[in-house]
Amino acid sequence: MSMTVVKGLQSEIFVPITPKSVWAPVTKPLSEMTVALATAAGVHRVDQERFNLAGDFTWRKIPNESTEEELMVTHGGYDNSDVNKDINCMFPITRLKELAAEGFIKACAPYHAGFMGGGGNIEKFTNETGPQVAEMLKSEGVDACLLTAG
Amino acid sequence: MQRAIESVGIPTVIIAALPPVVRQAGTPRAAAPMVPMGANAGAPHDVEMQTAIVKASLELLETIETPGKIVSLPFEYHAVI
Repeated sequence: MSMTVVKGLQSEIFVPITPKSVWAPVTKPLSEMTVALATAAGVHRVDQERFNLAGDFTWRKIPNESTEEELMVTHGGYDNSDVNKDINCMFPITRLKELAAEGFIKACAPYHAGFMGGGGNIEKFTNETGPQVAEMLKSEGVDACLLTAG
Repeated sequence: MQRAIESVGIPTVIIAALPPVVRQAGTPRAAAPMVPMGANAGAPHDVEMQTAIVKASLELLETIETPGKIVSLPFEYHAVI
């Protein structure tokens, strides 16, 4: 039986293509891992420049010693009311510190990353921001990264 | 972002309020508690829920063996609007 193929025929339904996963294997138990946070929720320190709500591909380096009061959110793409009440809703830094203290993980990374997802210059995100954050995490010897987004 | 971090050899897990979005983006590992966008790690000031979500998500690093896996977490929070 021959296939019935019409050349150049396209579905009128937009079918997005899911990219193949990128996969880094886990090589050690959680109790031996230094863990970093990375969030697309627009988290940054109060004394750092705010994100541009119209779209912003830049990111903020957030020191682990930052307290909840020193952190805030600039993001126009989701309801900020919960995260304004408690930064841990999107950036569970206090929870991560507690887990490090109880030995569930080995340590918190010295620096975490905050950026503003939800659109903007995707090309810059993919080719610049992503690799920059990855490079920082790599250079500080992080074993795993917990993200919040989507 | 998750993909960029994985590509330098650091394993990641994402806590997602919108599982279809992270699936579409090609996530390697994801946790999906029943939460609204903006409270992915749990309800504000609910230390017990936040700890449980963070712990369960980190544990997925050890348990997920297949790229692209999204695991539902048994935690639920509805924001009052």
